[in-house]
Amino acid sequence: MRQAIPAGRTAAHAVPRAISDRTICGLFMAPALAILLLMVAYPFISLLYYSTLNFSILNPAKGSEFIGLQNYTRLLSRESVWERFVFTGQFVLATVVVQFCVGVAVAYAFQRNFKGRDLLFTIAMLPMMLCPIVVGFLWRYMFNSEWGVVNYLVTLLGFGKIDWLGVPGNALWAVVIADAWMWTPFVILLATAAFRGIPTDINEAAEIDGASPFFRFTRVTLPMSMPILLIAFLLRLIDAFKQSDLFFAMTGGGPGSDTETVAFRLGKIAFSHFYTGQASAFAVIMLVIIIGLSLIFVRLLTQQGRQD
Amino acid sequence: MTKTTRTTWLGSAAVALAMAGLGGPAGAAETLTFIWHAGTCADAVVNIAKDYPDKNVSIVPALVPYGPEWHNKIASEFAIKGDGFDFAMWDSQSTAEFAGGGHAYSINKVFEESEYLKPELFDPASLARYGEYPDGSGQYWGLPINQDAYGFMWRKDLFEDPEEQAAFKEKYGKDLKVPQTYQDAKEIAEFFTRPEEGLFGWGQMGGREYDFATTASNSFMWSFGGELYNPETFEAKGYLNSPASVDGVQFYVDMFEYGPQGSQNWGWDEVNAAFQQGKLAMAMQWYYFNGSNSDPKVNKFAETTGFGNLPGAIGRDGKFRRQYSVGGQGMGINTYSKKIPQLVKFMEWYFQPEQQKRYAAVCQTGLKSVLDDPEWQGLNSYNKHFAKALEYTNDYWHLPEYNVLLDILQEEVSNAISGKKTVQEALDDAAERHEEVFEDAGYEIVRSDETPEVPDTVIAPVGTDQVVELSTD
Repeated sequence: MRQAIPAGRTAAHAVPRAISDRTICGLFMAPALAILLLMVAYPFISLLYYSTLNFSILNPAKGSEFIGLQNYTRLLSRESVWERFVFTGQFVLATVVVQFCVGVAVAYAFQRNFKGRDLLFTIAMLPMMLCPIVVGFLWRYMFNSEWGVVNYLVTLLGFGKIDWLGVPGNALWAVVIADAWMWTPFVILLATAAFRGIPTDINEAAEIDGASPFFRFTRVTLPMSMPILLIAFLLRLIDAFKQSDLFFAMTGGGPGSDTETVAFRLGKIAFSHFYTGQASAFAVIMLVIIIGLSLIFVRLLTQQGRQD
Repeated sequence: MTKTTRTTWLGSAAVALAMAGLGGPAGAAETLTFIWHAGTCADAVVNIAKDYPDKNVSIVPALVPYGPEWHNKIASEFAIKGDGFDFAMWDSQSTAEFAGGGHAYSINKVFEESEYLKPELFDPASLARYGEYPDGSGQYWGLPINQDAYGFMWRKDLFEDPEEQAAFKEKYGKDLKVPQTYQDAKEIAEFFTRPEEGLFGWGQMGGREYDFATTASNSFMWSFGGELYNPETFEAKGYLNSPASVDGVQFYVDMFEYGPQGSQNWGWDEVNAAFQQGKLAMAMQWYYFNGSNSDPKVNKFAETTGFGNLPGAIGRDGKFRRQYSVGGQGMGINTYSKKIPQLVKFMEWYFQPEQQKRYAAVCQTGLKSVLDDPEWQGLNSYNKHFAKALEYTNDYWHLPEYNVLLDILQEEVSNAISGKKTVQEALDDAAERHEEVFEDAGYEIVRSDETPEVPDTVIAPVGTDQVVELSTD
């Protein structure tokens, strides 16, 4: 026989207990919070601290010396470091623009119904599921001047062989092609999600009003997809800024150091040269730039939200 | 949250915690982990180790691709003073970096404590090359587990073709034969460079990665009498950019004219691939790869490939020198490993001639008794040349700052290869940057009033008046 519960009280309240719901929630969140603090706050504070030291983690016997902001001034006064930033900027601009132009166009094409669309869409997603270093070596062989498939196609078109990876300008575009091949699918995915989120009746209304397909795309589809496209743009921008795997595999940063991105150089200073203090300062500089870029886009997103 | 839900959550957490406590090391076999780059030699170690009599110990490989990640994997573990591996095969020039940082276990201690492992088992030069730091100190930090040297291969079918021989004689007024000097090699390379036939005279590495370009360019530089620096005074200016050094690197850069387009970016893999496809008449390549390049399943020209030692050069002082980069690795012990006694026992077994003969069937051992054995020297066409090759090897700086110095030299030589800088400009810049590294590291640079035109004459002279020919059989 069920016991009657007084009105206004739940079964849970009827049972006396030692731990409140709030405490249990706190207990379950505590490990995650502790891990978060350990994994984010502690390394970040350490990073700031190490960036003020002349110190190599591989050679602790030599000790560390507090040198204030010298690591920053030394890095920022080097022409070679600025050249890396300029090169990275060129790469980011080129690859993100290519990915967006191709990605948005392909995603728009996927809005139409045609046979095999879903299969094609799945196949189109495959490149971004591969390991970047594998993609790098794959493209390195495809861009080989002598026996690579790219030059084979180039010669079929009647042009001479191109030294793709040995000339800085060519190498930049070779890596942009490889990066775009790998990450355009990501833009396609997000753009498709954005396009499919637009209510069909808006487009239908525009069509009834006589709007051309181009007009509907530029005045209806694109503006309504903008928040998601901006997020995709931000993610690709940050990711491209950090790119080093493809350069590592395809050019090794050469010729000279002409195709070294800032992330590539940072990895080298940190884990090859083991100049830990200098690498920490470099990482802080990169972090500031990424946070700056992110803030600009978050602001744009916020403005977009207000307009909507 | 209901009582049932709360009970379920708390119960789950308790089960998860209990499960986390399970699966400890109890009952697990002892493992000795080693880091090396993947390849034939690492596979050989793994296969031989399977027969280690102590079945409670297993040897676990942690293999990485050849290149910077191999060095970085070892260095990263050392940086955290971790015992993620027990031993590692590292490049000869890394000994200074790892021993200097206090991360390598002293091999002198192993020699003292072991009944079997003694310095006499190894050639003194090999022991020094792969394990001594500082140079000449008698302090060893690695054993020569895998010796290697830059070697040379050529297409015998082309060199022995009567029509080619006649055409060469007509054009150059001399016999077509395997070159003993780079000057001869240049003419032969020019002769065989026929892009319309898909044939090129010379293949060499020029890639920016790791040590690809500089192991090759240094071989030229040393042969022309150049040097990386003066180890007594720590001067790089006047040595690395000396006239003789510039001659050597310039010769190396010029040789790309006789290679396929894009070979300026090649690593060892591309050199192998091009040679195996019959695109090259001659190529610089490590002895390490002779096993695969002599395998008809890998190289369709294997039956007609000649293997031997690289040429030398006649320098601006008229002296002949033959010097090329040493390769191979020493076997070092992680000082933070908790299994050093077990590891030493394994090493005592592994460095027995029985095991080393098995290893030497596919790679180059460091054990003297096997190297000197006529049976091993006659095992294939190149072992006897390798035994000779070791007399002509030279190495990078044996300094803890090696990796930074290497990266700078790679960058500047790469600049010279791409034409961004002249060889003189590139080596001037490299010398200046190297001295900055020396100063930052605390070395005192003692500036000489005058630096030699041919630095080899004042550091470790190896020049001879006559060309010393080596067998090419």
